[in-house]
Parts: sequence; structure tokens; C-alpha cells
Amino acid sequence: MSREFQRGHKAKISDLTAGTDLYVGVQISGPGLSFDISCFGLDADERLADDRYFIFFNQPKSPEEAIQQLGAQAGDTDSFRVTLDRIPAHIRKLSFTATVDGAGQMSQTGPGYLRLVAGGTEVARYSFTGAEFSTERAVMLGDIYLKDFWRFAAVGQGFDGGLEALLRNFGGEVLEEEAAPEAAPQAAAAPPQAPAPAFAPPPQASAPPVFAPPGVPQAAPAPQQAPTPPPVHNFPPPQGSTPPPAAAAPQVHAAPTLAAPIAPPGYFDGASHAAPGHTPPGVVPPPGPPGVPGQHAPYGQHAAPPQAYAPQQQPYGMPAPPPVQQPAPPAQPYGVPAPVTPAHGAAAPGVQGALEKYREAPTGQRWTLQNSKLMRVDLGVDPQPVLARQGSMVLYQGKIDFGYKGAGFMGRIVGSATGQEMQLMRCTGRGQVFLAENSANLHPIQLENDAICVAAESVLAFDESLHYEVRRIEGHGIPGGALFTMQFQGMGTVVVKTHGTPVVLPVTPTTFADSNAIVAWSAGAQVIISSQVRLRRNAYPGHSGEAVNLQFRGAPGNFIVVQPYEV
Amino acid sequence: MHQSMNHSMNQQPFAGAAPAQPAVRMENHGSSMLKVAMQSGHDLFARTGSMVAYEGYIQYEPNAPAVRQRASQWLTGEGAPLMRCSGDGLLYLADYGADVVCINLNGDSISVNGTNLLAFDAHLQWGVERVKGMAKFAGQGLFNVGVSGTGWVALTSRGTPIVVDCGGGEDETYVDPDALVAWSTNLRMKGKRSFKASSLIGRGSGEAYQLGFSGQGFVVVQPSEDSTDRLRARG
Repeated sequence: MSREFQRGHKAKISDLTAGTDLYVGVQISGPGLSFDISCFGLDADERLADDRYFIFFNQPKSPEEAIQQLGAQAGDTDSFRVTLDRIPAHIRKLSFTATVDGAGQMSQTGPGYLRLVAGGTEVARYSFTGAEFSTERAVMLGDIYLKDFWRFAAVGQGFDGGLEALLRNFGGEVLEEEAAPEAAPQAAAAPPQAPAPAFAPPPQASAPPVFAPPGVPQAAPAPQQAPTPPPVHNFPPPQGSTPPPAAAAPQVHAAPTLAAPIAPPGYFDGASHAAPGHTPPGVVPPPGPPGVPGQHAPYGQHAAPPQAYAPQQQPYGMPAPPPVQQPAPPAQPYGVPAPVTPAHGAAAPGVQGALEKYREAPTGQRWTLQNSKLMRVDLGVDPQPVLARQGSMVLYQGKIDFGYKGAGFMGRIVGSATGQEMQLMRCTGRGQVFLAENSANLHPIQLENDAICVAAESVLAFDESLHYEVRRIEGHGIPGGALFTMQFQGMGTVVVKTHGTPVVLPVTPTTFADSNAIVAWSAGAQVIISSQVRLRRNAYPGHSGEAVNLQFRGAPGNFIVVQPYEV
Repeated sequence: MHQSMNHSMNQQPFAGAAPAQPAVRMENHGSSMLKVAMQSGHDLFARTGSMVAYEGYIQYEPNAPAVRQRASQWLTGEGAPLMRCSGDGLLYLADYGADVVCINLNGDSISVNGTNLLAFDAHLQWGVERVKGMAKFAGQGLFNVGVSGTGWVALTSRGTPIVVDCGGGEDETYVDPDALVAWSTNLRMKGKRSFKASSLIGRGSGEAYQLGFSGQGFVVVQPSEDSTDRLRARG
């Protein structure tokens, strides 16, 4: 079932789909407009550190093919295939953007969307219209990003300057910091390239040769003539003019990095082969390196390579060391105006800004953990009622009825023995209920026809569709005389609460747990009361000297869950 | 070369001065402690009893007349729940391990449950009112403090809070008053009592109360129904 996302909404991908193979489709159109849809693979600093992960019409896939541009299909203007578990560790965020190609502005676009499809079904959709934008020429539509888990965020943020501004936004800091003169012209070269609409359709690697010709004339403003593979050849000239920057090997790395997006990875290989004089062919991985060996030599003469390079690595903040400063001037015209601010993330002042990080995260899933202590139940997803511990509702929206429901503890001598009786409420209707209790940690357990036993005190809520039965474990020494457990079975979710972070132990021949700290165990494990006489601790009156533990027995694969808290 | 030398020389005195002037008036020190950069002439109201440490010259006025006047409804025999803090230095506030959220009001306004208010700039406009229809709820009454203007407010929440938008549509948002932390001032609020004998929501006595919010805005809720005013309870 597809979830509608609004601008700013975020969700864990795992809450949307269990799969990691995603199809991302973008539909955007406007009268007389054409768009370039691109995907930026950003590092932890939200920068395009590795340009092989700038996936666009000219570079339709990342080296390991975790991100592939598929082109127009199935009603989408453009589409990508993203294989989350193949994305390398240094890529933390995929930002999907659309830029107006040629004349026009975002406000002229009609209704469009960004959607996620997994396993053939659409799981998320963020819809937008041109009315949300004004004169921008680019928009960041959505992000798939890694923050503990892979997540999806609907962004919908416009950019004034089109693809160029976007490139600067993501790579601008690279320009300044590494002061790569070649990089700047490259950034300038990119936008002119983008406008060529004819390129978009052929997303295959065959495309590159086609691009090169048109790219060349368009890149005219930039100092160097050719946009793409040529950068490799072109390095020498700019370098000659500003020797110091390139002095450091890593810097050289960085520079081609920026240049590279223009060329598909395969192309580079070709280039390096084509220009063997420059570089011994097999030397390098595609992106930057081709130039390295050749370039090294000349620079070495100008500046001491090793030292120059360390300072350059230093980020902003500090005044740049001399070698960097010199290269800076050439870069300035481009680098300076670049918007350095990340698109989002910086908390704006004001109430909304301060509270942004706590904002509700709807996913459309029936059960969504909002944070470690708060569970959101969306009753709209499935009309099945939810049973929750009474008093656990902290907020609800929509038309929801709460009805009293005993858990079936009555008539089991519970009242007299303990006074503890679990009272449930049945939540029915249409809307969302937020459940929490005493800032206990919550853990949703999704049962798929398996069974689990949970200590009654640790149950927060569960689907009514689950079969459950109440059992009691009696034993001397258990407070109240008995431990009540609920065994759940079937298809649905149980939310278990724990005080503190629980531990999950495998059941072995010698697994014991304190009856007060036990939270849950797999139903295949058998519980045995084991009493141990503690000789040392029987001194005070009224205490039997007996401590009751529960021993668990079961086949391998069974487990128990224990919390760091004794009721 | 010359340039770089100058740079490093110039920076040294600034580097020495940096720690003395934190850029931000309020910030979190860990998740549950608030750090306030105090400056004379820039006073702060904080919950009485919330101070855990301070550095510098800071004075506390526990029963400021201005507070008594404005917070008269909120007063009990124990005195005003707010103290005026003034002076220069760093002030650390906490409320028994509750999460702290700092908000930089930028001309906006926010209503905060009295129990969840930790501190705010004294120059902000503020006022206390009893939440209508919720008199004597859970034995302690629910007070809300409305704060507006340009300055800083710090809230506490038992557990990570969540912010929910009231859609402004047909559906109202109902909140357990014990879990309510703050809300936008412009929301309409009404108490709701569940008359159904069978429905028992909320803590305790068998009567269920909820606060219904409608309009455009947000509600901040904590994942706990423990609304005990710990600072107050200590007496």
C-alpha cells in the first residue's frame, strides 16, 4: 500500500518495505519544459565527494551498479534502481533532484511526484505541484539517506540556479577547500551540458560519445574546452597556470573527481587507454587517477608534495596555508558565490525549527515506532482493532473509540492474589493513536504465525487479530504468588515495553532468569521454576531464604528477553 | 608567507577569548541538562529548584514580586514555582533527568504545560492560565504558561517528545493531559470527558479526560503519563 508523503516527512525504508531493491520513479512535467532528473550520492558531510555517484543522464550508473538510472518508463519521467545493500559505506545519502532544462522555472510545472516502488508495489509517494515553487530552476525532491537505518525523506526544496547551483551546493565546498582550478570550470561546464534534452532518453553507457560533441561548444565559457573525458587531457593547461594546487596527489584525486561526473565510468577507461602517453592504462580505477602519475611529476617541482597536501586536506575554518591560497583566486569566481549551506539540516530558529527533529514521522504503516519510547498506531491502514494497556494512550487523532476490555485475568483468582489485573482498552475507528507508558522502551514484535510469551506487565499493545491466552506461573517467592504471562500467536504485532535496554539470550541447558526481570520468551521454550536456597541471605524474618528463578529449556533457536529492571 | 604569519598571530588572542562567550544563550548539555549563558541585564526565569550548577556570579530571587503577581493562579502555599536568575556566568538546569528541549522563539508564541517549563528569558511576554475545563485534573490542576516574543525557552519532556501537527481538518487531536508538554498558542482547546462508562482512558480514577485541539498548529507530547511535578514535589 502506498503512503502519501508530505514535504518534510521521513520514514525508515524498512517500515515501507522489507526489500532493499528499490525503484525510484519521478514524474515531473510542465508545458514547454523539459527536466533532467539526477541522483547525487553524498557522503556523511552531504557533499559529493565521489563524483562517480553523481548519477545523471551522462553517467547512468555507479561503479558497483547500486544506483542505476533507468530512464523514462511506466509513466515516470525518469527512474532509478537503487540497491540499498550494495551502496558503499561512504555514500550516506542519495538526493534525487530535478532541474529545468533550458528556459523555464519550477512554478510552471504541473503536478508531479517522486515514488518508491519495491517488489512491484508502490510503497511511498511524495506528490508536489508547481504551486509550491516559484522561480527556482531546480528542486531537490527527496532523499534516501542512512541514519542508523536507510530512510526516505520527502524534501521538495527548490534551488534558484538549476543544476549548476545544485552541483555547487553538493560539491561547492570541495571546490574551495581543495582549490582545484579545474574543478570550477567543470562545474560551470556541467550546466550547459545538462540542458541538452536529447541526451536524457538514452541512459545507456552508449550515450557518452554522443554527448561529447554538443558538450564541447556549450562548455565554451569555461576555460577548458571540452567537458568530459577531455578534462583528463586538459588538466595540464590549467595546472600549468596554477601549479601549486595540484601539487598534492590527493588533490589531483579530488579534482578529477569533480570532473568525472560528466563522463560515465566506462568512458574514463577508454580515455586512459586512448591517451596512454598520459597515463599507463591499467594503473587506476576509473574516476580520477588517470592523471595522477603524469601530473605528479610537474608539480613536484613547484611545491613540496607531501606537506602541501596535508594542509590542503584541512577543512575550512583555518586560514588556508599558502599553497592553497594561491590556487584559490582562479577558483574564486566559481567557488565564492557557491551556496555553502546544506539544503536542510541546519535548524532554523523559531519554534518550528527547534521542534523539527521531534516531528511526527508517519509512514502509513500500521505500527510505527516514532522514537524508542513512542508507538504510533495507524488504524486507517487496517480496520482491525488494537488492544492496548489502559492509560497508555498519550494522543490520538481522528475518530477513535476506546472501549473497556479485560484481558481475561478475571476469574482466575488474580484479584485476590495480587490485585494486579491487566486492563486493556480496545481502540477502534479511523485515525492514529500514539501509545507510550512511563518512558519505557518499546519494541514492536511482528509475529508471522509464530508464537511468543510475554510477561503480562510488559505488554503494551497488540493487534486484536492475534490469538492470545493468559497463563500463570506459580511459585513461592514470586511477588503476588504468580507470574502472569500472555502467549500470542498468529499474524500481527505485539508491542513489548521494557525498562532500559533489554538483553536477548539464547536458551541453553542452563538459562535462568529472575522472574521479576523476565520480559518475554519464545513460546518453544519451556519454563521451569527453580528455587535456590541461598544460605547466606536468609537472615531476616519473613524471608524464606528462597529466591525464585525461572529456568528455560528448549531447542536451539529459542530465546528469552530480560530487562535490566526488577519490578 | 607573510600573510600566513599574520594570520596565526592574529588568531591567538581570539582563541583565548572564545570560551568566555558562548554564542548561544541556551543549549543542551547532554540530553537532559540545559546550559544557559547568563549575562547581566539579561535575566532568566527558571523553575525553582532546577538549578544543578553554576559558574560565575549568578543570583537567584526565588519569590520575585513580579512572578507572584503574574503567576498568582499557579501559586500554592509553597510560593512561586519560578525564580529570577541574574548575573554573569554559566547556569546549568535540569529536572530529574527529563529530556530538555531548547527553543529559540522568533516572534512566535508557545503554550507550555507548567510542569514541563524549565526556563525562559525574562524579557519574553508570558502569562499563566488555568486550562479551562480541566480544573482539578488529577488532583493538581493543569496550568499552562504562554510565552511569546523573541528569546529562548527550555522545556522538559519525560522521554523523547514527539511533535504532531493538528491537521486543522475535521479531525481533532486528543491528548492525554498527563502527556501534554506544549502546543501552539493559536490552537483551540477544549476539555473532553469520556462519558461512556465503558471507556477508561488515561490514568487513574475511571474518569477519562482528554484535551481536544483543533486548528492549525502542533502539539508536543511526551512518551510518559508521569506528570508529577518533581521540582514542586520536593517542596
